[in-house]
Amino acid sequence: MDPSDQNIVLLRAATVRYGRLTALRDITLSIPCGSSTAILGRNGAGKSTLLRAVLGWQPLTSGEIRIGDAHPQHARPRMAYVPQRQAIDWDFPITVRGVVEQGRYPSLGLFRRMARTDDEQVERALDELGISDLAPRQIRMLSGGQQQRAFLARAIAQGGDIFLLDEPFAGLDLFAVEELAHILGNWEAQGRTVLAAVHDPAIARRCFTRGVLLDTGLVAEGPIADVLSPANIGRAYRREHCVHDGRAQPAAAGDAEA
Amino acid sequence: MSLHDLLIAPFSYEFMRRGLLSAALLSVSGGLLGCVLVLRRMALMGDALSHSLLPGIAAAWLLFGTSTVALFFGGLIAGLLTALGSALLSRLTRIKEDAAFGSLFIVFFGAGVALTSKLPTRLNLADFLFGNVLGVSAADLWLAAAVSGGTAAVFAVFYRSILLETFDPVFHRATGGRGGLVHMGFLTLTVLNLVAAMQTMGIVLALGLFLLPAVGAYLWCDRFVSMLLLSIGLALLGSVVGILLSFHAGLASGASIVLCLGLVFLVSALFSPRYGTVRFLWRGGAR
Repeated sequence: MDPSDQNIVLLRAATVRYGRLTALRDITLSIPCGSSTAILGRNGAGKSTLLRAVLGWQPLTSGEIRIGDAHPQHARPRMAYVPQRQAIDWDFPITVRGVVEQGRYPSLGLFRRMARTDDEQVERALDELGISDLAPRQIRMLSGGQQQRAFLARAIAQGGDIFLLDEPFAGLDLFAVEELAHILGNWEAQGRTVLAAVHDPAIARRCFTRGVLLDTGLVAEGPIADVLSPANIGRAYRREHCVHDGRAQPAAAGDAEA
Repeated sequence: MSLHDLLIAPFSYEFMRRGLLSAALLSVSGGLLGCVLVLRRMALMGDALSHSLLPGIAAAWLLFGTSTVALFFGGLIAGLLTALGSALLSRLTRIKEDAAFGSLFIVFFGAGVALTSKLPTRLNLADFLFGNVLGVSAADLWLAAAVSGGTAAVFAVFYRSILLETFDPVFHRATGGRGGLVHMGFLTLTVLNLVAAMQTMGIVLALGLFLLPAVGAYLWCDRFVSMLLLSIGLALLGSVVGILLSFHAGLASGASIVLCLGLVFLVSALFSPRYGTVRFLWRGGAR
């Protein structure tokens, strides 16, 4: 049977509050299996919070999230996560293979050693992303695009079929953006479910088939072209230049540069 | 002076054997901990933590005398109070963690100095701060063995969690890892090791045994596990040579171990084939 039937992410009235601040308000939506979906919105619209809630990392204040018919925490082996790379220390003593091997760690627990099947999964992931040659290199000795591919390979090595990416395009040069767009397109063609927080609507329009537009609440969801209609963008981004949140300004400038 | 006089004869003394064994044991755990301190950019926090142990040790001395166990728990409580206190302060106020740590440790250190001035015996503050290898008792040795063995065991069992939390804490958290637990466990291990190293190294110099070999190894290694092993190796080398130097030159043991490790660090920083200063300048500043 095709297990992808369950690969559907369902949110019902999902709400997350940090103290008095509402990060995610009453989100109800479903994400079909095998689709690539961009989560869009201005800074602080709840993109990262939504990803973390789906991962089962951020508990909901109210509402419900199901991965197939399972609670997110029980569906963790099916999900692979690619965090933002800004915080990575590229001087860390680790090779590309070392990074990809980390994808196997969650399923190994404390005491199991890397078995042959784990090594094979690592090899396949390196191979799929075309970085087998780079495996023994320390991670600073890579271009930005190659670094991103190492982290995508780690996600592949996790062995899940739902991929959650937090701002994967941030900090990439033009060439690397094209490369990543190509990879994500392949993933979708292979029936993998991709859910990515994306800051830039133009990139989202080009690389994703579906969109979820947030402004703490849900503004729109569906095919990307419909979601990114001028009216919706106006509604979701209208407060972009408001000064109520001082932190939004420098972050916005950094993203624009990326 | 024969080779025997230089290398073997010093260890015909009981105190030298004890000092060497204690330093060697702590080289293993210190070498491991240092790597994580360096990679997580907690080197200065470790320094602050070491100073904050003083009031606990002094208070334990005032209340219970020279019992190793009492001193151990005194230091442990003071260290954990500092670590937990600054973690709380940084979450509940606008103070950032480094400022919270900096403020708390200096208050603790001040309290420690004040308390030691009230100690009744002819206790030497310098012994607390800089160590005295002459004073390593059997109980100190057992303590060093337990702490070192415990630290090595924790690293063996939680190796992958430690690596993930150090390299990519967000990924660790997202895959179900307990980042906060690893962090607190790590701070606790650091305090335990600092207290255990107090007698040989002194609380101020103990951090040298942790940091210097790790920074040295960092400059040579491109894999986490090789950095851990080299760090242990360098710590052992520095301890043995340092203890011998302290014997022959009549130097304080903690200081001479730190000086030997400092030499290893300096050589690494200058001549590491991939990451050293000489190579950096040779290639015109490009990496």
